[in-house]
Amino acid sequence: MPRKKRVDRRKPRAKAAPPTAQLAKINVKVNGVQYSAEVEPRMLLVHFIRDVLGLTGTHVGCDTGNCGACTVIMDGKSVKSCNIFAVQADGAEILTVEGLARDGELHPVQQAFWEHHGLQCGFCTPGMLMQAYWLLTQNPSPTEEDVRRGLSGNLCRCTGYQKIVEAVLAAAEQMRGQQQEVR
Amino acid sequence: MSSEEEILKRFAAIEQAREFYIIGKKVSRVDALDAVLGRPMYTGDLVTGDFLFVKAVRSPYAHALIKGIDISRALKQRGIEAVITHRDIPGENDAGSLIPDRPLLAVDKVRHYGEAVALVVGSGIETVEEAIRLVDVEYEPLPVVKDPFEAMKPDAPRIQNRDNIVTHFKIRKGNIEEGFSKADIIVENTYKTQFMDGLPLETEVAYAFPEKDGRITCISSMQNPFDVYNKVVKILGVGPEDVRVIQAATGGGFGPKSDETPIDIAAYACLAVKKTGKPAFAVFTREEATTVQSKRHAFTIRHKTGATRDGKLVAWKSELVADTGAYISKGHLVIARATFHCTGPYEVPHVWADGYCVLTNNTIAGSTRGFGAPQAHFAAELQMDALAKKLGIDPVEIRARNILRPGSLTATSQRIDDAGLEICFGKVVETARWHQKRREYEELNRTSSRIKKGIGIALLYHGNTLGPEGEDFATVHVRIEEDGSVVVQTGLTEYGTGALTSLVIIVAEILGIPASWVRMERPDTSAVTSSGPTVASRTTVIGGRAAADAATQLRGRLAEVAAGLLGCSPDELVFKDGVVSVGGDRRRGIGFRELVSEASRRGVELRVRGYYIAPPTRWDPETGQGAPYNQYTFGALVSEVEVDTETGLVVVKRMTAAYDAGRVINPLGLLAVIEGGSIQGLGHALTEEIIHENGVVVNPSLHGYIIPTASEAPEWIEPIAVESPGRIGAFGAKAMGEIPVVLPMASIANAVAHAIGVFIRETPLKPERVLKAIREAERKER
Repeated sequence: MPRKKRVDRRKPRAKAAPPTAQLAKINVKVNGVQYSAEVEPRMLLVHFIRDVLGLTGTHVGCDTGNCGACTVIMDGKSVKSCNIFAVQADGAEILTVEGLARDGELHPVQQAFWEHHGLQCGFCTPGMLMQAYWLLTQNPSPTEEDVRRGLSGNLCRCTGYQKIVEAVLAAAEQMRGQQQEVR
Repeated sequence: MSSEEEILKRFAAIEQAREFYIIGKKVSRVDALDAVLGRPMYTGDLVTGDFLFVKAVRSPYAHALIKGIDISRALKQRGIEAVITHRDIPGENDAGSLIPDRPLLAVDKVRHYGEAVALVVGSGIETVEEAIRLVDVEYEPLPVVKDPFEAMKPDAPRIQNRDNIVTHFKIRKGNIEEGFSKADIIVENTYKTQFMDGLPLETEVAYAFPEKDGRITCISSMQNPFDVYNKVVKILGVGPEDVRVIQAATGGGFGPKSDETPIDIAAYACLAVKKTGKPAFAVFTREEATTVQSKRHAFTIRHKTGATRDGKLVAWKSELVADTGAYISKGHLVIARATFHCTGPYEVPHVWADGYCVLTNNTIAGSTRGFGAPQAHFAAELQMDALAKKLGIDPVEIRARNILRPGSLTATSQRIDDAGLEICFGKVVETARWHQKRREYEELNRTSSRIKKGIGIALLYHGNTLGPEGEDFATVHVRIEEDGSVVVQTGLTEYGTGALTSLVIIVAEILGIPASWVRMERPDTSAVTSSGPTVASRTTVIGGRAAADAATQLRGRLAEVAAGLLGCSPDELVFKDGVVSVGGDRRRGIGFRELVSEASRRGVELRVRGYYIAPPTRWDPETGQGAPYNQYTFGALVSEVEVDTETGLVVVKRMTAAYDAGRVINPLGLLAVIEGGSIQGLGHALTEEIIHENGVVVNPSLHGYIIPTASEAPEWIEPIAVESPGRIGAFGAKAMGEIPVVLPMASIANAVAHAIGVFIRETPLKPERVLKAIREAERKER
């Protein structure tokens, strides 16, 4: 049973709306928790996630949809949350990096990034993890080429991607192993 | 033996050890777990409660007089709390990171596109952005000085109240005329490199708030908290105790975060707090960051090189011109490093070089990973291949005849005392199967009409740490808590290189405890003393010495207690696996934690400050002759490429990289910087270019400035670590953070030349440029 949490008051980071702007009510499930909030129609989903819900693991790196640091999963699809308005997420189910670990256990993708040194400064990491997670839900047995193509919408300036690709391939193997155990 | 001598002796023994307990073993980055969990750690994640936004009004002109600033319309906007111009700065209007030539807010003139003229403070980012448009600045445009050669003309408009030529840096070795008279062949070429952005993925960001006692605390993203702190104190015109700067987790550095903009962003937030008494938040958009962040200098390098018939270098004459933009930043030091290294890692008896750092109305160039070395090596290494081609010998052959070996003299006549370069060179040639591939690709290119393959090589030497660039010291504070956990804190910072993990490893090594017992605390100017800047790849090398000093002092204090308890002399003790024992015999030992609690009970102070300063380096400013650096890192890179001769697209298939790290302290960190630097360098070689048009940056975004993705990265980067210990670094460590970004431009350009048969001497090697070169070569053949 997911916890219910209401957010009635926006943090002041969100702009005081001009008097004519209509606030829109949205209901969104994020990491299994149902939220309901009134948002300014121009508010981007990434700002809703960071500023209203306080889930700051989702980062902003570019403002133009290029870097992918803001990648989240919305209704099973990987999206760049800076390219979507919060109102478009009304009724949607969203997964962010904070929802990847379950019951204190790292998700295999997180575990693999940690063990394979798949990060340096860490800023692109949450977006990279979400994209890798989505990629593996679509293709549980990717080739290296699949992984590289699948991550090419996410920029990393530190690593050179080699360790990231290794981590995703290792996570894929780990997850296939887990699948077999279940069967 | 006095306890100081005891420490020195022990330190020497530890440094010369051949086998290590933790050094060289795999240790995960200390804060990696927080990152994979997405925990709040970056500045923007730590902002809470009510706060104001602060943002700069920026110049749309590259060069203009300011005739007036009218803030009245902006101030009337609802939600706007303050508009700050240069008149409202309580202290000094000086934000230059090293040289006080750059105002925080322009006074009577703007000198580059995007220069800050005023700050708007208000609630809500949209409110502030709307008010920015209402700040009326009256400009009178001036002629724009677009390139350094124009700026060097005597009648060129002056950018600042000084000559446009900031530095003329010289190297005079031997007798250049005599050198060329001995040359059988001479090769002359001009090379050009572009403006580039280090582009850390997190933009500049600062959050400042007033404390109850009136002090202002500023949390920010940066490499050098003390540079930021010192400037903010001056700008605010307050006492040193009135400001506190804390470095939050920092999403990449690469040089820009050591220069101008971290000072600006912190000063914006702190000024807003000072003016309004309320917390304030400032963050650059990507467009702002890419516009005003200090860039990698665009260079024009003219080389004239002479060699004998058998490929021995005899004379090298160079002119290097670096465009530093409207303010100097670190340009005077970048030109020095580039000029020192302008002949590449080769022994040349006669050298004459002139390096000029020049002001223009382009945006500021300053520190960027590699600091002038990538440009210098690009030109030198292409020059070597041009010589080889003219002599009809293999590029490997001409290098083998000229590289710096033990006993060789550099361009500054500094004697090289280790064989790091020879080893790296030999390893890449062998591992990449150079000769075989070279033949194979040539064979293939004769028959393949569209896709041509090439293999190229480049070598480097890199003067370590600051050398001529500043006082090369570090302090590291280490304390042992009563529970036996060890805490390390320093003003040196982590921004992705893993260098602070190296400090943890060094402390753990000396105290003989697992690295997991050691933790790092965030750099905080109110808790630690200055440790110098975190630049020039000096954290492991110099900071490591300070960490070793601290750990050795603590070890000495603990050894005295343990010797008393175990009935032996302190130098019989072995610190290993969390146990302190007599000669390694665990039956005659005491647990580290138990020992700490005993020492604490006896009142032994287990909190120390470690310090190290590198020996000063000396060279003659008139001739450049001397020993500008204490030690050198060496490296070699082989790149293999495919060139599509119909589209001009270059794909890098494989890189083989060998670097002489002196001593590998942190292997995971080392591999990470090798791979990451290689790809950053690949971007510099192929796609990255900040384009100024009449001084205006026309591509300040990630769709206009293209950095490599996982798809552009080569299928494999083969990293090879070589250990040829340096003279000063901790345990023999040499500088590594910046180094891997130095060679890709040179190595890839040489590989492309091998593939298409013609040298391209201007970067980046974008498809249109490559295509043009191919077409021109075809025309000549006809």
